[in-house]
Formats: sequence, structure tokens, C-alpha cells
Amino acid sequence: MASHTTKVAPASESRLDLSKWSKLPMILIIVGAVGLAFAYFKGDGGAKQFAYSYLTAYMFFLSLCLGGLFLTLMHHLFDSGWSVPIRRITEHLAFLFPIMAILFIPIALCSHQIYDWMTMDPPDHSLHEKAALVNEKTWYIIAVVLFAVWSFLSWRLRALSLAQDKDGAAKWTRGMRFHSAWGIFAFGFSLTLAAIMWMKTIEHQWYSTMYGVYYFAGSVWVTLVTVYVITLALKKSGPLAGVAHRRQFHDLGMLFLVFTVFYAYIHFSQYFLIWNAAIPEETFWYVEREVGSWWQVGMLLLFGHFLIPFLTMLRIDAKLSIPIMIVMTVWAWICHYMDMAFNVLPHLLPKGYETHLADVGALCFIGGVLSMVFVKYLKSNPVYPQRDPRIAEAMGVYVKPATASVASNLEGHA
Amino acid sequence: MNPTTPTEPRVPKLTATRPFGILAEYLTPADVMHAAEKIRDAGFTRWDVYSPYPVHGMDDAMGLKNSKVGWFSFFGGVAGFTTGMSMIFYMNGWDYKLIVGGKPLFSPLYAFPVSYELTILFASFGSLLGMLFLNRLPRLYHPLLKSWRFKGVTHDKFYIVIETTDPKYSETQTRATLESTGPNHLEVVED
Repeated sequence: MASHTTKVAPASESRLDLSKWSKLPMILIIVGAVGLAFAYFKGDGGAKQFAYSYLTAYMFFLSLCLGGLFLTLMHHLFDSGWSVPIRRITEHLAFLFPIMAILFIPIALCSHQIYDWMTMDPPDHSLHEKAALVNEKTWYIIAVVLFAVWSFLSWRLRALSLAQDKDGAAKWTRGMRFHSAWGIFAFGFSLTLAAIMWMKTIEHQWYSTMYGVYYFAGSVWVTLVTVYVITLALKKSGPLAGVAHRRQFHDLGMLFLVFTVFYAYIHFSQYFLIWNAAIPEETFWYVEREVGSWWQVGMLLLFGHFLIPFLTMLRIDAKLSIPIMIVMTVWAWICHYMDMAFNVLPHLLPKGYETHLADVGALCFIGGVLSMVFVKYLKSNPVYPQRDPRIAEAMGVYVKPATASVASNLEGHA
Repeated sequence: MNPTTPTEPRVPKLTATRPFGILAEYLTPADVMHAAEKIRDAGFTRWDVYSPYPVHGMDDAMGLKNSKVGWFSFFGGVAGFTTGMSMIFYMNGWDYKLIVGGKPLFSPLYAFPVSYELTILFASFGSLLGMLFLNRLPRLYHPLLKSWRFKGVTHDKFYIVIETTDPKYSETQTRATLESTGPNHLEVVED
């Protein structure tokens, strides 16, 4: 596996054929829409179940968009070389935000079903104290602002990157760095606000100062492994065949391990501080999540979200093994979804977790819409940044510097 | 005259010595990389590449496998975690039972921060000591330090040394193999 020699795959090597999956997004959308509609109109509480299921699935997919945006921002802020081949994937993931804004409409319409405090009259003491942030008007304004910021940021980052494909000028890189520099602050604040306003205020009495970073850790965790399989699929099916190498997969796997630990660290800290202080207005949140099968979901997060991936991913060969990583990706999706359920659903299902038709419907519907748009993005644009200054470096190809005279002058003096 | 070429000081040899290995000097990282590939393919086992800075891709060129230091780190970490948990259990839940803040006498929750710190501490001890052990360090003397030529390793030269203890070593064969890789200079280093 010599990194400095470029191995060209023989023409006879069979490539992964993805065309038979091309109808999948449409099928998912139809199945999901039917399931959601069925659940919504089914008797009493159908609308409430619909709203909660939809929000759970929505927060799951929002994680992928935020994770994509974060990886793009990090790429520019660190001036990374290794992540150039996967950057278009993360740019596309981030630019799903305008679609996410449209998909947010059902949540905005059903907000009264989800958030008790919107209809609470008179407000309880906690709501009274938090009214400056937790009120209906602010909730809607924040949603509009968040989608405006996310859409603008991800649009600029992707547009400049696509512009560089045409002429390779350095000004585009400078532009992307400019947007990343303010973008990382906007990202931190906006993600925290989203996690607080859309998930945490379901039980507005609760306090946790690390809720934003908790959602962040899980989001980037699931995104890394998702980007891994997308890169793998694009490599095996052709477009990234000569571009994505061992390095990209190794580093994605390594970051996945890092975020496995980071998520556990954050979630443990949140739990531990609340457990140790033992103040009722904080502990009630976790007490609710020990009832019935929510206890098992908590154990799944402890062992499935942390311990199993942690021990599996320690080895370098595991990070490069296709079967292990594909199983790990599906496992991470399940764990992250259950993490979202652990945050959103106990208020609706106090006796324990149960899967509902609307859960499956919402996952299929949002997943179908997003994958359809994502595939369209992939097909209508170059699959990796064609003329990024670091693309040759990332591919492991040595290109002689344009000012070769400087090098030869130095050699003459040696 | 090239100012960087070292000159041998006139020091009288005190004792009769036996050869440690053959030292080949190269001027560029590319040269030493290609030479390393040839030495690797020739099947030598007791040899090494010396350079002033890390050369990317050298591990592959030398055919080096992933380092075993990770195992020392892992078992160091396991030992640290176990130490933390059992220490707190022994102190708080067994030897001197003490109720703190209305919490149970022992809970893995409050033992966790300490266990976690000890995991990191012992894992880093494992990494450091494992690295020293695998590198056979500390070592106060190395035969190569006797070679005046070898000074360039801290400046701008690259070296391959094949040791005489290599099973495939033979004075003439090995010298010929090294010569075929196009070194700038070749010499026998004495032990």
C-alpha cells in the first residue's frame, strides 16, 4: 500500500452499480407520506403522535446537515489537505438546509401539539422565569433566523467551491475561509439555539448547560460515519475511484472514534452533574428516562452509542474494514435515532419507548426527500473539488511547483 | 570544496573492532526512499533508515507494520480504569465506609471521573514505556555515533544502515546491494 505510487484500478474490475437504487428515494417518500398521513388522521392523539415522531426524525436528519456544515467549516479553518476529496459531500449535506427549512413547516404548524408551554395558561414558575426566550413569538423568529443563517452560510460555501472548479483561482479559497471564520461562531450559537428551542423546551422546566454541545457531539458523530459510507459508495461506483484513498477513510474513522469518546464525555458529564447535585428541577428529566423501557434505551446509549463503537474503532484495520464500517454506520444511525427519541419522546410516552407507524413514516419521508435532493446535487455537480489547491496533495500525487526555478537554484548551491 | 562535507579527525584507534554494519549516505529523501524500497524487497530485517526529519511514506517504503505501542497504551488504560474503580470501592465502600452527599457507599458514577483520569494517565505511561521498551531505550551508546559521516543525519543527509547481525548479511553481497541503490557514500561502521 505505497502511498506515493498511484495505483490505477484495472478496467476489468467490476464497479458497484448504484443505478438499481435510483427509485429508492421516491419509494421512501411515498411510503413515508402515506404512513404519516395514516398516523395523523388515526383517532385521538394522532396529531400529537405525528408531531413528536416527525420532530424526532427531523432532529435526526438535522444532525447530518449540521455535521456536514461543521466538517466543511473545519476543513477551511484548519486548511486541511486530507479532506479535500470528501468536501463536496459535506458541502452538499450542508446545503440541504433550504430543504430542511421547508420540511420544518409541519413542526411549525404542529408546535402547539409538541410544546406544552405554548398553550400553558397561566404559566408555571419556570416558564415565567424563562419567558424572555421561551415564548411563542421568539420561537418562530429564532426558527426563521436559524434557517436564514444556515442556508446562507452553506450556500456561500458551496457556491464558492463550485466557482473554483471552473478557474481554480485562489480568491475562492480565501472567500471560503472568510465565511468559515464567522461561520463557526454562527454555527455554535445556532446549533445550541436549535437544540434548546426544538428539543429541550419540550420539557421547559429542565436545566442543562451542556445541552447544545451534547446535540453537537452526537450530530458530528453520526455525520462522520455517514460521510464514510457515502465516500465508500462513490469510490466503489466510480466517481471517487482515483481520488479517495486510505487516508480519507482512515481519518474519517479516526474522527468517528474521537467523537464517540467526545459524545460519551459530554453525555456523562451532563448526567453526572445532575446526579451529583440531586436538585429536583434537574433530576426529573433523567428520572422520567428510567421508567419502563426508557431504561433500556438509556443502556443502549451507554453501551451502543459509546462502549461498542469505542472498543471496535480502536484498531486501525477496523477503520479501514468495509464490512465493519458498514455495520457500524447502520448501528450509528440506530443509536443516534434512539438518542433523539430519548430526548424527544418520553414526554409523549411516559411509560416507555414504543415504535409507532408515524416514526417509520417520518424517517422514510424526510430521508426520502433529502436523499433525492442529495443525489440530484451529486449528479449535477463535479463530485469533488476539481481545482482546489490541495487536491493533488490529497490524492497523493506530486505536482512540481510552478516556480521550479527556485528549487533548481537551491539545488545548485547545495 | 563543499563546506558541509565532514572531515575525519585524526584520532588513533585504540582497540581492534568488529563491523557494526554498512552505512550508505543519500542526498535527497527521494533517493533514500527508493533505496529503502530496494532493501525491503531484498528481504533484510535488521536495518534502519535515518533522516533529519520524518519522511512521509517511509513506513511503507521500509515495509514497517503498524507499531505495537497501541497494545501497551490499551492495557495501560485498562489497568488505570480498574485501579480507579477498585481504589474508590476499597476506600469508600469497604475500608472506611462513609456516606457523602446522601449517595451510595459505592457507585461507579462518582468513581468514574477518577477512573477516567487514571485511564488516561496509565495509558500514557503505557505508551511512553512501551515505546521505550520496543525501541530498546534508554541506550547510552550507539555504534553509529562513532561514524564521523553520520553527523549529517542531524542536518541534511539521509542514511541506510544494514547491520551485520542481519541473517542475510554478507560483506560483499550487502555492499553490492547498497551500491546498486546509488548512494552518495558508502562505509563500514565499526562497533
